[in-house]
Amino acid sequence: MIKVTINGKEIELEQPETILKAARKAGIKIPTLCHHDWLKMYGGCRLCLVEIEKMPRLQPACSFLVSDGMVVTTESEQISAVRRGVLEFILINHPLDCPFCDKAGECELQDAVYIYGPSSGRFKEQKIKHPENNTDPLLARNMERCIACTRCVRMCEDVQGAYAIAMTNRGDRTLMEPFSGNRFDCEYCGNCLTVCPVGSILSRPSKSSYRPWQMDANIATVCSYCGVGCLLNLQVRDESIKKVIPVEDAALRSSFERFGPGVAEKNTEKNLYENSVENRKSLNRGLLCALGRFGHEYVDSRERLTSPMVRKNGKLVETSWDEALDFVALKLNEIKNSSGGSALAGIASPRCTNEDNYIFQKFMRGVLGTNNIDSTARLGFAGAQAYLENLMGQGITANPISDLEDADVIFVVGGDPTIATPVLGLNIRAAAAKGAKIITLGRAAGLGRSKPKEITANLFTENKVLERLLALLFSKKEMTGELPAFEEKLKAAAAAPPAEKTTEVTGVTEAEMAEISEIVASAESFAVVIGSDIVQRAAGHCGLFCLAGISYLASGRIFLLSDRPNEQGLIDMGCLPDRLPGGQSLAIDGFRKKYEEISGLTAPPDKGLTLFPMLKAISEGEIKGLYVMGENPALNLPNWPAGDTRKSKIKSLELLVVQDIFPTETSAMADVVLPALSWAEREGTYTNLEHRIQVLRRAVKNMTYGRDDWRIIAEISSRMGTAMKFSSPADIMAEIVRVSPVHRDLRYPDIEKGTMLCRPYKGQPSKSQAGGVVHGEGFKDLIKTCDRPGGSLDDKKSMHRDFVLLLERSLFYSGVTSRKTPALSRIRPDAAVLRMHPEDAAPGLVEGGRVRVSSPSSEETLELETVFDSSVPRGAVKIPEYLEDLGVGALSLITNLPVDPVTKAPAFEECRVTVEAV
Amino acid sequence: MNKTLLANIDDPRSADLDFYEQNGGYESLRKALPMDPGVIIENVKNANLRGRGGAGFPTGMKWTFASGDPKFPKYLVCNADEGEPGTFKDRPILEKNPHILIEGMAISAHALKSDYGYIYLRGEYPDARVILEQAIDQAYEKKYLGDNVMGSGKKFHLSVHVGAGAYICGEETALIESLEGKKGQPRLKPPFPVSVGAWGLPTIVNNVETLSNLPLLIRIGPEQYAAIGSPECPGPKLYSVSGHVERPGVLELPMGTSLKEIIYEHCGGIKGGKTLKAVIPGGISTPVLPHDKIDCPMDFVNMPKHGSMLGSGAVIVMDESVCMVKVCLRAIKFFEHESCGKCTPCKDGTGWLRRILARIEQGEGHKDDIDLLVSIAGNIAGKTFCPLGDGTASVVQNFVKHFRAEFESHITGRGCPF
Ligand SMILES: Cc1cc2nc3c(=O)[nH]c(=O)nc-3n(C[C@H](O)[C@H](O)[C@H](O)COP(=O)(O)O)c2cc1C
Ligand code: SF4
Ligand code: SF4
Ligand code: SF4
Ligand code: FES
Repeated sequence: MIKVTINGKEIELEQPETILKAARKAGIKIPTLCHHDWLKMYGGCRLCLVEIEKMPRLQPACSFLVSDGMVVTTESEQISAVRRGVLEFILINHPLDCPFCDKAGECELQDAVYIYGPSSGRFKEQKIKHPENNTDPLLARNMERCIACTRCVRMCEDVQGAYAIAMTNRGDRTLMEPFSGNRFDCEYCGNCLTVCPVGSILSRPSKSSYRPWQMDANIATVCSYCGVGCLLNLQVRDESIKKVIPVEDAALRSSFERFGPGVAEKNTEKNLYENSVENRKSLNRGLLCALGRFGHEYVDSRERLTSPMVRKNGKLVETSWDEALDFVALKLNEIKNSSGGSALAGIASPRCTNEDNYIFQKFMRGVLGTNNIDSTARLGFAGAQAYLENLMGQGITANPISDLEDADVIFVVGGDPTIATPVLGLNIRAAAAKGAKIITLGRAAGLGRSKPKEITANLFTENKVLERLLALLFSKKEMTGELPAFEEKLKAAAAAPPAEKTTEVTGVTEAEMAEISEIVASAESFAVVIGSDIVQRAAGHCGLFCLAGISYLASGRIFLLSDRPNEQGLIDMGCLPDRLPGGQSLAIDGFRKKYEEISGLTAPPDKGLTLFPMLKAISEGEIKGLYVMGENPALNLPNWPAGDTRKSKIKSLELLVVQDIFPTETSAMADVVLPALSWAEREGTYTNLEHRIQVLRRAVKNMTYGRDDWRIIAEISSRMGTAMKFSSPADIMAEIVRVSPVHRDLRYPDIEKGTMLCRPYKGQPSKSQAGGVVHGEGFKDLIKTCDRPGGSLDDKKSMHRDFVLLLERSLFYSGVTSRKTPALSRIRPDAAVLRMHPEDAAPGLVEGGRVRVSSPSSEETLELETVFDSSVPRGAVKIPEYLEDLGVGALSLITNLPVDPVTKAPAFEECRVTVEAV
Repeated sequence: MNKTLLANIDDPRSADLDFYEQNGGYESLRKALPMDPGVIIENVKNANLRGRGGAGFPTGMKWTFASGDPKFPKYLVCNADEGEPGTFKDRPILEKNPHILIEGMAISAHALKSDYGYIYLRGEYPDARVILEQAIDQAYEKKYLGDNVMGSGKKFHLSVHVGAGAYICGEETALIESLEGKKGQPRLKPPFPVSVGAWGLPTIVNNVETLSNLPLLIRIGPEQYAAIGSPECPGPKLYSVSGHVERPGVLELPMGTSLKEIIYEHCGGIKGGKTLKAVIPGGISTPVLPHDKIDCPMDFVNMPKHGSMLGSGAVIVMDESVCMVKVCLRAIKFFEHESCGKCTPCKDGTGWLRRILARIEQGEGHKDDIDLLVSIAGNIAGKTFCPLGDGTASVVQNFVKHFRAEFESHITGRGCPF
């Protein structure tokens, strides 16, 4: 126990803390500038100097630890003079252009001077000038205003881990500069912007728009980009989002930190602060990524769909809502009556809310009479999730993201978490910074600085590596008996093939495998992070099985990455061909009965088609009507059935209904296009990848004639004779909690706290299913199919060659909304580029030369510029996924990908293209 | 007194290992290696050796802290940054007597159980780099360095790291940052380098001269060593004298030799028979002394009692022709250029001081400017992150204190009277 006296108040502390923290406990405010609660100690600005008894020098409260018996004074004549002096120094080279500065009103320097500063300065000479630098498309730098607190650099280095900026020069010429010079070559998280106390780093998209006090509203909501579900504060003026800041930052700004205890007590946002402090431990901790911070301009885009459209004489023409809805109802009825519900199918959306998706599946099942419901979650997340739950029990992936930071060994497989789920990636970097060992299998360049142990396996042989690791781990670890059925399977699988063969196939030595299995075996807190690359394999489920086993044996936690905001929610809502809301199997009569009882509608008993069989059925004419909600399958999906050309209507479909906010490659083919609301215009809930359910709040009024997705569907339903009487998302949630055992007892006010994890076991356990579901028939056989080392294509070089197509993911791209956001387009590197290993280049193909990429199964071709890149595996070419900027999906080249028999995810081993010089 | 630090430096072979050995070199290392490390540290304490880098911190105490830290490896860093204006006392050791430093470091490394050493060398000493590296190579050949020092089983590797010319990198924590490849700026203390230093490991930073004292200390033992010079802080001391004296240069004298004696006896008095105006006794950061205040023993304990500090022992002598405003301006220009920019008072205050001083010097000063200078210096003093800023403030404070009239005449006379 440490006793300190600050301004005469005695404070008892459990352990040594800084004077600043101790003072706060006693409600004593000490002004600070270079200090930031989220960053490492610094002690540079000297504004926080305080007197300590028996010490000749003043000491910085922010970075000086208290010791027992210490007597501190934070207010005195001397200290007031010091504060005036420090602020006077800062101001001599500060432009004092507050009337023109975006930060005015929320500037920490302005506030500090207002309270502690000199009323006038004595400086008469020339100030140092640094012209504002606006070379970067997103981040403006005004270094005249910089106070050299280094908060930005500490954020970028220690928290973001990007090491993109530094303080350069010395003395009063000190300023912050990106290593890359004028432009930032960085992750554009903008987290430096969050912590800059003054107007030195500014967001160009929102610069010179409105001052903080001119905002009409600050709306706390959830980000719409990836499965992390960061909390954001939308600053709104004139029904338009002007700026996005993290909720924690907003709270910090309006709290104690800024105005001192008296004000904080009165401040209405104090609760928000407390909530956010709680959330800081769990969610984005005040951090955002480029998409979350800069990806909102699409809401205001002029390209938004503004009116319903119906195809007449081959052309889409604008109509009234009534006409369009009547038309859809009529056509759906026609198809249902003539060909039955099985001739209809629906694609739901991981960008729509839980409520939208609940209504969607309810409509498909109860009104259209079909279980043909699936979504792009099928590309990886949905199948993987279901498979893992089958093996290990429901909720096996429901692990708080914050736990990652406490892990001591993290195994990252199948993709770069710093791109798929950027803020979760930061948790991994943070764990590494604290000393955790990171092991990667597959591409994860964003973890490069975390000194990962990289397993470099031959292309498509990861499963073999995992199998061997499982076997090695099996020999080191006891089984707990917790999941007997799973353990049986593990035993069988651990009877592994001999090591030499594994090494031969994978290129990974036995010694390396042994070393890695030892690291995993000795982990105290182990985590497995699974990205979609490992799922998208012909035998993807085998890899998942091994990962489940490795995690089980090492008592790890599984994190399944999701690059969409509501993939988990969509699954929980039952937008799956074989599951009802709450993950309840359709095959179990009791579940279906209960569902029917509560929803008041009947669900067909037979499993529907998953995505790819669905597409096949479309091209074969078995499915005649397709309803697409908030998705662009014509571009996003391989195997999408081609029409005459991809741009025109698919001949075989009688009815294609597309509900969206933008015209897309899919809506261009539709018979009916229905404008919906964007994320910022609607309410509802999202469930993130850790199963946390959070509320989306309406921030701006809709300026189009769009409607809520769920409302549109409810309207059609009534027109088809089945009324759906819901008046709000909360209303829908009231039904969801009755239907879905994982949502049992949830109420909107609870959800609003943002602390609710939808876990199983709260309601009816589905755990009895754990391990009970059949492992993919012929597991052994499937492992055999992994034997084919994909990379070793024939070695002869020719102008025409088959390559495996790999997609290069971008931090600044995520579907159509990111395409329609100029801020993000400006920072994406050139799209029309193909990367290949230099030694793979056919004679005559030079760097910068143009190539044509084609696939035997598609009429479409791409023309791209070649870049040689020795990090691309031999035998593969890499194309940016954001090629879609140009209106071509790299995946749309592919029309015959096989799917994994268990997860039904597409297998990219077969993603072969021909590359020829033009 | 016989010279040890600068022994034989006038001989052209002085930097050569064979020559050094012929003159008893590395005998102290041979004597030290079988000694218990703890005993050596005790000896250093009993000899009352104080760091020669400027602060005069008791070396034995620093070593006790470092050897008490359970973390290994420990780094031994020789501070050869010698950046303080007026200071060039380490240079003759580095260029003429490198083996005394290497021997001193090897002895220290044994005492501190350190396996790796660095010499952080001032970037502006290119010759010293070549000489040191040759000397290190020779020492490796003769097994005074390496995996098995003189067959004792002790490992000690040594290399030279060249700085890029920043004064602040002489400050030990900034030096460590620079050694790690970062921008040279001081670190928060605590933790002190002796527990968390280079790459997070215990690191002992000592000045060239400090480490070069070890061979002597071991050879003659703590009692005899403590009998040299001032009883409070004994030993031989190097003084680098520059400015208006007949014979400037580096002198090796017993610690505590009086400033007056240094100037008038050892350096032949003021050049050209002119009269003395002022002396900066210990490098530019130490308070200037007017001509009538130089009867003071030059050591760490007594100088503060006489209104200044020993600092690095760099004596800058100025005769009657020198303009004190100009000297002050020149010093502040140096500090402005060298301020690392980490903390507000030094970062912004120094440039402000320089601008006012420049104005006064050019005859454009205002009568309030002198008070303004003192006030600004007061807002810097004691508020900065590291002592560099205190040096800045003290220069202005002391020049104004002792030579206020000169400042005033610049203002009233609208220009420099010299
Ligand atoms: C601004 C500044 C510059 C310094 N420059 C030097 C230097 O050039 N050489 C040096 O030995 N010590 C220098 N020091 C002192 C070192 O920080 C440190 O105290 C010294 O290297 C310790 O060695 P010692 O105990 O042997 O004196 C400097 C200190 C400060 C604050
Ligand atoms: S935007 Fe992010 S990555 Fe870029 S400089 Fe700022 S903190 Fe670093
Ligand atoms: S840019 Fe902002 S955060 Fe960075 S050092 Fe300057 S004032 Fe601090
Ligand atoms: S006093 Fe401050 S700005 Fe000056 S050198 Fe030291 S830390 Fe850097
Ligand atoms: S807040 Fe403590 S020194 Fe800046």
